Amino acid sequence: MLKLTKSLILIILVLVGFSKTLQAQNTGTTKYKCMIQMTNYMGEGAYIVVSLVDAKGGYNKTLYVLGSDKKWYADLKEWHKAFSKKPSNISAITGASVTGGDRSVVVLEIENAKINSNYKIRFESAVEDKPYNVKDLEIPLTTESLSAKNEGTGYIRYVRFSPN
Amino acid sequence: MNLSIWRYSHLTLAISSFLFLILATITGIILAFEPVVEKSKRPNLESLDQISLAQSLPIWKKKYPSISEIEIDNFKTLIAKSSDFPKEIPSAYIHPKTGEFLGESQVQNPFFEWMTALHRSLFLHELGRFFVGITAFLLWLITISGTLLLIQRQSGIRNFFKKIPKENFAQYYHVVLSRWMLIPIFIIALTGSYLSLVRFEIFASPKVNLEVDLDKINASPQIAFHDFKVFQSITLDEVKSIEFPFSEDPEDYFTLKLSDRELAVNQITGEILSEQKYPFSQIMTTLSLELHTGRTNLLWALILAIASINILFFIYSGFVITYKRVSKKTKNKFKAIESQYIILVGSENGGTWDFANGFHQQLLKQGKKSFIDSLNQYQNYPEAEHLIVFSSTYGIGEAPSNANNFKKLLKEHPQNQHINISVIGFGSHSYPDFCKYAFELHDWLSNESWAKPLLDIHTVNDKSIEEYSRWTEAWSAQSGIAISGKTQISQPSKFQKILVISNTSGHHNDTFLIRFQAKKWVSIKSGDLLAIYPANDHRERLYSIGMVGKNNLQLSVRLHPQGLGSSYLHELKTGENIKVRIINNSHFHFPKKAKEVVMICNGTGIGPFLGMISQCSKNVKCHLYAGFRDANSMMLYKPQLDDFSKQNKLTSSTFAFSREIEKQYVGNLVEKDASKFANILKNGGVIMLCGSLAMQRDVMEVLKAICENELRQPLSHYQAHAQILSDCY
Repeated sequence: MLKLTKSLILIILVLVGFSKTLQAQNTGTTKYKCMIQMTNYMGEGAYIVVSLVDAKGGYNKTLYVLGSDKKWYADLKEWHKAFSKKPSNISAITGASVTGGDRSVVVLEIENAKINSNYKIRFESAVEDKPYNVKDLEIPLTTESLSAKNEGTGYIRYVRFSPN
Repeated sequence: MNLSIWRYSHLTLAISSFLFLILATITGIILAFEPVVEKSKRPNLESLDQISLAQSLPIWKKKYPSISEIEIDNFKTLIAKSSDFPKEIPSAYIHPKTGEFLGESQVQNPFFEWMTALHRSLFLHELGRFFVGITAFLLWLITISGTLLLIQRQSGIRNFFKKIPKENFAQYYHVVLSRWMLIPIFIIALTGSYLSLVRFEIFASPKVNLEVDLDKINASPQIAFHDFKVFQSITLDEVKSIEFPFSEDPEDYFTLKLSDRELAVNQITGEILSEQKYPFSQIMTTLSLELHTGRTNLLWALILAIASINILFFIYSGFVITYKRVSKKTKNKFKAIESQYIILVGSENGGTWDFANGFHQQLLKQGKKSFIDSLNQYQNYPEAEHLIVFSSTYGIGEAPSNANNFKKLLKEHPQNQHINISVIGFGSHSYPDFCKYAFELHDWLSNESWAKPLLDIHTVNDKSIEEYSRWTEAWSAQSGIAISGKTQISQPSKFQKILVISNTSGHHNDTFLIRFQAKKWVSIKSGDLLAIYPANDHRERLYSIGMVGKNNLQLSVRLHPQGLGSSYLHELKTGENIKVRIINNSHFHFPKKAKEVVMICNGTGIGPFLGMISQCSKNVKCHLYAGFRDANSMMLYKPQLDDFSKQNKLTSSTFAFSREIEKQYVGNLVEKDASKFANILKNGGVIMLCGSLAMQRDVMEVLKAICENELRQPLSHYQAHAQILSDCY
């Protein structure tokens, strides 16, 4: 009897523990290394913002901003519109702008729950006195695309991810 | 002719660019300090040329497995990007050999970032960049035109570093400093222009594109990083940046950016997958950037800062020079032959010009065709209706130097129509023959059949605005043209205070020596003039200065019972401070090159010579010929003269006394030593005269005879070669 009780308690404990881990996997985040390789365009350094976009195309979260001078943020029109309405602290996820031909490796922190659930990652780019790209690159946030090489359409040649 | 073309273009370029230039220069000066500030924020490390990549890269990779990039900046500091740093710092300074973490890397200081944007584009984006680029190009042209001006000024490249005569502060330093700053400013302007051209893609600076054939990448044999041949051959001083392979997939490779080329290296086999040298244009761009910013060399950055500060000075001094040139040379908008109003000026020191110019400007403002010139430039004025003569008198009722030819010219150029004439004389009642020359002018003009006196002659005592206004009122009433007498007279501005340190006036003599102490920084030479203001108003009196000892001015003065200046000086006591102005009188400075100098004077004219002899170097022979009334009036100077002889500063001294038994004048002494004077002139020596005009006239007569009889040259030949200098009153 005592043995049974003990094993029951153990099972319950294990079950509780397991469900907690499950919960953690759903609500937790994972870091991804993201490499942005630029095309050989001529001109100033590009400002690029990486955002999480929901199924309707609404901005859900800013994942990274490449370019530190706030004066140019207005050039990233769509993101700037949304960001001005609902500002958040982005100082920890801000890095340097990238010039033509260069590459930049940044770390993105993505909620596990958003993966494979109709979210997209958008790379928006702007260069001083050059055209602006709302969707230089937009990819569905799926396990598949996080392991592939994704070609850009504007200043970005391609983007690659790898788990950090 | 050529000179004026270069000067004109130099000025035009300066005017068209100076506003932007000032802005670019000030921001440039501030930015020159960026390398210094940036350097101070970085760890100070050993030189990189001893460390090979094979030696250091494996250590970095081991310490920071997720390292994605290494950048070596202009200060030879290593900046690594990795997610292995403490507190999730994305990029940090690391030690090149040990890979030790040395702190978070700093982004560009926002202040300098802001300043850089202002410097490059004035916050006007493309338009601003365009203006800044044009400004840099204009600065380049200014440097070139300035260089040509300088070469012409120095009469040839060979004389480029020859001494420059010091005319005035702005002029002198504009020229002197430009010789030194030419090269750095030239480089700033050229690199700035080049960078603008690159920015506007006029000089294409294509990016290097490494082509890697992914199908041919080998996945074996695996070699350790420190055995990569290519890593062994590269030292860190060549490296600009290294991009680490994004993953361990053989298709990901190292990208090395070196100072002259880019390389792709297989991360497993160490093979070079692709290699490309930078094109010439990119090397030029990098070089221009380094030269323009001084970011690789702190000493060069400092030179750039100094050169930029000098640009500001050149803008300032250039405009001062131009202003002086323009304001001195009265610009005549109309030609003499087309003007209705002719203003002629006779003036020795330029004071009368101020009045005449004011009058001229007022006529021009009212749309009248007015023309202003010296009396000596008198000619035919076919359209003239009014002739207005402004003249001072020189010495004993004589013509000022720019009017001494007028009497002759007047006869040579009879005018063909009736012209209204008005004469106004300037002078001072404290001198005999007040405005005598103006009266003479009026008489001569009145005798001409074409001349109709509009007004009787007027005179102005001591620049009195009231008396001048009285004349302008009368002239306006007669001519029907409103002219104000309240002309802006340019007042001398550079007053200073000097201290009386001794005055011999107490010794019941009518001649006395007075000494002053000037401020240390003032540069005064014997022969310069001291202007004093006895009544503390606009009336000034001039005295010739002798410099005895450092900063000590000595005047030799004769007391005139009614003399405004002399009685004022006579009363001055030791310890008093007085307000004065120093007037540079460079034509009567002691010659710099002559081996032998004769000084001829009478009475108080010895004053400047006492200074010159006391400061004369021993390898110049100085002779003094001085005239006095009697032996007694020489006593005042005797102690100083005896000292000079003892110190071998005075080679010979000869005296003439006009009221002793044997009446003698200096002229007689010169006559006696005629052959000596001829020799001195022949050998390039200099004769200086100071004293009364009567003495000057006598001596000049004698010298004229000597020149013509013994040297077969006219006196004017020696005057023109500055071998005969005179300063008489």
